[in-house]
Amino acid sequence: MSTGDVLQIKNLGHSYGKFKVIEDISLSIGKGEMSALIGPNGAGKTTFYNAISGKFPPTRGKVFLNGNDITGLPSYRVVDKGMCRSFQITNIFNDLSVIENVFSPLIIQQNKHFKLYGNIFNDQQINEKAMQTLEQVGLTDRADQVVANLAYGDKRLVEMAIVLAREPSVVLLDEPTAGMNPEETENMINLIKKLAKNSGTTFFITEHDMKVVFSLAEKIYVLHQGHLLACGNPQEIRANEQVQEAYLGRKVHA
Amino acid sequence: MIVLKIKYHTLILTGILVTLLFLSPLVIPVYWVILLSEILIMGLMAVSFNLLLGYAGLLSFGQGAFFGLGAYTAALMLQAGYENLFLIFLAGILVAMLAALIVGFFSVRLDEIFFAMITLAFGMMFFSIAHNWRDVTGGSDGLPVFNLPNLQLFGLDLTFYSPISMYYLIFTTVLIALFLLWLVVHSPFGLILKATRENKQRVSFVGGNVRKLRIVAFTISGAFTGLAGVLFCLFNNMATPEFMHWSFSTKPIIMAIIGGTGSFFGPLFGAGIFFVLEQIIIRYTENWMFFLGIILVPVVLFFPQGVFGTLQNRFFKQRSK
Ligand SMILES: Nc1ncnc2c1ncn2[C@@H]1O[C@H](COP(=O)(O)OP(=O)(O)O)[C@@H](O)[C@H]1O
Ligand SMILES: [Mg+2]
Repeated sequence: MSTGDVLQIKNLGHSYGKFKVIEDISLSIGKGEMSALIGPNGAGKTTFYNAISGKFPPTRGKVFLNGNDITGLPSYRVVDKGMCRSFQITNIFNDLSVIENVFSPLIIQQNKHFKLYGNIFNDQQINEKAMQTLEQVGLTDRADQVVANLAYGDKRLVEMAIVLAREPSVVLLDEPTAGMNPEETENMINLIKKLAKNSGTTFFITEHDMKVVFSLAEKIYVLHQGHLLACGNPQEIRANEQVQEAYLGRKVHA
Repeated sequence: MIVLKIKYHTLILTGILVTLLFLSPLVIPVYWVILLSEILIMGLMAVSFNLLLGYAGLLSFGQGAFFGLGAYTAALMLQAGYENLFLIFLAGILVAMLAALIVGFFSVRLDEIFFAMITLAFGMMFFSIAHNWRDVTGGSDGLPVFNLPNLQLFGLDLTFYSPISMYYLIFTTVLIALFLLWLVVHSPFGLILKATRENKQRVSFVGGNVRKLRIVAFTISGAFTGLAGVLFCLFNNMATPEFMHWSFSTKPIIMAIIGGTGSFFGPLFGAGIFFVLEQIIIRYTENWMFFLGIILVPVVLFFPQGVFGTLQNRFFKQRSK
């Protein structure tokens, strides 16, 4: 393991009952890298994320974050160790306002979630940080709106803000453009690019949309039938015959 | 550092309500003062209950247990000759709190109907103990209370043997308790609690330990419910096993639903509506429960935010959460 690696996964596997979904996945992600895990629907991308982020423990293998073994830790501990994620299906606090959505991770980060008095709207430090986070994703003008009333693309931005608020060292994004129209997709790509450039945060995203991946990632991992088929930069992946055969198919030749 | 952002109209309305409650014994008949006392106690129970239902999204079916524990603690202490009011309050709250901590520890990992069932089961366990442990609890007869605690305050020696003085004791205690609960609901903890109601997975994935958060909420709710139980024992001169029966635990549920679970004061108003309706209806018929059902059905169907919640939304257009 090189010293720059923030996330290291060793021989990870997961089965639902007897059904092996992913097998023997090993990879190392360096600090500040922007990498992507690609694979068709059902390849096991979400399962992989769930197993490393504490949704459930993996059946086999190890996960290291900044050198610490985090295998099997519950999600809230994984977050404390510095890795925070988004979900393929938007996962936010629907009946709260946009800014309250962002308050939640900040309150927990500052260990104020068991504080039984005092109004959060008067907590200057948290308000400032919340507004900064909203500015990063471009939602400052909607801070007071109830999230349930927002457009779909904005809801996804709220989830981004929630994830970023805790300033994680590793951000996992599970299909950040899922269900978005072309305009929203482009905004999201630009946003992720901007965030990756400015923050030094390590991003690891999953995608099934090749265009998104090639325009975004420095390093691509290809998941095929539960195994890692290839890994490399976008040119290498494009040129890889195995990948073309197994996954990219006609799309690339065209 | 308790700086609070209170909406203007909320402040005025609360002020008016508190003033009315403070002055009402001077004008209304004693019978209604007694009824108002009961409304305040049950209102406190309903608001405490709603910390779970309205803010944490947890339907507890065992609140009667904590109410009963508060009541029995007070009764046992008074029988043993303790007369210090604060001591009795403190003991009742602590006993209920401890029980809630234990029940919460086992219950909060569950959701929805499973949570309702496990709290119901715990409640019935406490009921059985109260009902069958005759030597301590007096069994089905309950524990009568013959002398009331007194209070030395600012050189005054206060007793609570008249309905009016009892009313002021209840009024003051409930007011303080509601203020504390109000602080909790509007605190950072309160916001995170609402977040767990909205999406507990998300809370967990931003670093919050949902189980611990819920245990704290359950314990706070149990503590204030215990305080309501202490008050009821003093008011009623009696602790009985009925307090712990599941049917008693449905009272705060009904009150919260009538008044509205989405607002802090909703359940208090629900308690008021519950008792006033009962008074009016039992004048004409013995079938109060039948008419309660007739009232509940349209409330649930047409006022999902409860009577108070709906009025609040209509007139103030503010968010009810
Ligand atoms: N909770 C589950 N129980 C059983 N099988 C599951 C579960 N979740 C996903 N699967 C199966 O595992 C495979 C991989 O799913 P998933 O990880 O969601 O893939 P992807 O995110 O790449 O689309 C699919 O065949 C899916 O049906
Ligand atoms: Mg997926």
